[in-house]
Amino acid sequence: MKKILFIPIIALCLFLGTMTIAASAYVTPESIVAAGRVYVSSVTYDPTVFFTDDVGTVIFEVTNGNTDQGVVVNHATLSETNHNIRLTSGTYDYSSNIGPGKTQTFTFSVKADGRDGTYYPTFSLSLRDADNLWYKTMVQIDNTPLVVTILDKPDAFTQGRKKTMNVQVANPRKNDVYSLLLEISGTGITSTPSKIFIGELVANANKTINVAITPDQPTTLEITVYYANGDNIHKVTTELPIVFGTDKKQANPVVSNIQVKSDNGIYHVTGDVTNAGLETANAVMVTTLSPAVPQDPYRTYVVGALKPDDFGSFEVTFFAQNGSSIPIQLSYKDADGNIITSTYDVTLSSLPTSSQKSDLPILPIVVVVIIVGVFAGGWVIYLRRNKK
Amino acid sequence: MKHSFSDLFLKPDLFFQDLVTKKESLGRPALIILAAGIAAAVYAYLVVGLTARMIAGIMPGMETIIILSTAIGALFSTFVFWILWAGVIFALSWVFKGKGSFKRTMEIVGYGYLPQIFGILITCIVAFFYIPHVHVPELTAAAVQDPQVIQETTKALMHDPAMLVLTQITAVVSIAFFLLSANMWIFGLKHARTISLRDAAICVGVPVVGYSIYILSMMTVI
Repeated sequence: MKKILFIPIIALCLFLGTMTIAASAYVTPESIVAAGRVYVSSVTYDPTVFFTDDVGTVIFEVTNGNTDQGVVVNHATLSETNHNIRLTSGTYDYSSNIGPGKTQTFTFSVKADGRDGTYYPTFSLSLRDADNLWYKTMVQIDNTPLVVTILDKPDAFTQGRKKTMNVQVANPRKNDVYSLLLEISGTGITSTPSKIFIGELVANANKTINVAITPDQPTTLEITVYYANGDNIHKVTTELPIVFGTDKKQANPVVSNIQVKSDNGIYHVTGDVTNAGLETANAVMVTTLSPAVPQDPYRTYVVGALKPDDFGSFEVTFFAQNGSSIPIQLSYKDADGNIITSTYDVTLSSLPTSSQKSDLPILPIVVVVIIVGVFAGGWVIYLRRNKK
Repeated sequence: MKHSFSDLFLKPDLFFQDLVTKKESLGRPALIILAAGIAAAVYAYLVVGLTARMIAGIMPGMETIIILSTAIGALFSTFVFWILWAGVIFALSWVFKGKGSFKRTMEIVGYGYLPQIFGILITCIVAFFYIPHVHVPELTAAAVQDPQVIQETTKALMHDPAMLVLTQITAVVSIAFFLLSANMWIFGLKHARTISLRDAAICVGVPVVGYSIYILSMMTVI
């Protein structure tokens, strides 16, 4: 029994002794000097600045600065004292040789568990013929999101009218973000386009996007920006209440100088249309509505485009009952092609009409009277002569 | 002695004097009335076409029916007018103890209608010239709900400058040729009813003057 236990103990001692002899056998003053020329030449974090819970990678490049001697590395790992930066991939547990003047890469996957702040993970590399190489790095966790700002929007939204908004996406972070995608959404909102790919946005920069929206009902407009921080997708949302109202800048055609004439039952209404708004009124048209019956030659009068403070004259012709009030419809198109209409009432009550004039057809009556008179007179004379 | 149609215009007294010696016949007078009726139908076709265009917006497709019914109505009303006019002057001549049949009176009235064929043809030529210049207002389906609008629209059509001139020329030409017919009817009635020329002139002159006043009043109303 004692013989059986003795054999493994002897074997273990021999193994450990062999390993100790082997290890210590290469540690020489020259190898220590050579190890001193091994250094971390590059450290790259991706992303460069983490959000909390972001995952990423860190790449260490180790360079052998010796020109005539290689070094053997046994083990490489990364650690952070308080585990704010946590290693999620394994360590390097194998030996490899870094030739003279060569560089070897060590990549680790990490996850940012800490809060906002600066952390110092330490990279350690075991050298076979010397002590370990320790290298402390710096990495930041910053939860500052992108900022979405509505730079310009209409004074008021109107149902069914397309309006253009100016949206700015800014990056206040210390690192670049990628794959930006702006999305417009909301109940009853039609957006052109509804999604816009922006791409990369470098640190401390911004981009401005024009978006045309057409609301069908009062609602809340959501502007969401999706972006990638390394391999991690984040989003930021801005809401804008859509409340219908009157656009203070919109064109405002006003009808004035109304004059009404009646010619044989056909009313001629003339007047001026002046654009009292701040935008151009395109394709301004004037016509009459029921109970008026539009008639030629001016069933509808096209005034055309009216710039702010411009005016144009119009004339419409129609039939209507004398004494009634006639609605005159004025319509125009805004820059987006939306048709806006308004009506003005014109009263025809006290208007003298030419049909009320007593224009007797004098000439035909005189002609008829003469003909009848000649006929009657002729017969009277004829009868008198015939009687004699 | 046989008299031609030219004598009807130049020597109506002799024409009708000769006519009453023959057997009463409504054949030729009916043909004259038919010709006048056709001419009246053509004129009605031209003028009612304007009204049909006015209401085309209310009842699409009704224009043809309206035009045809009016033209046919004009044709038949000429025959009705023939009978009525003969009846009126026959009744008036009865006051002067006139003799002769109603058929004879209808015969001379029919012959006397001949000038009016030319009168209607002249108005047709005038209508051909003026009608294209008439601006026809159009009624919509909504306007039918308001009788006032219909009235105003019709008035507007009648007061169109071209329409006014057409109406006045038609009235003057109609009266002129109607008086020419009256001239024949006086001579015709004298022989048909065996009354004096003065009595015949009164029998024909009274309704003629009444008709002329009616035409004049229509011109002033329009």
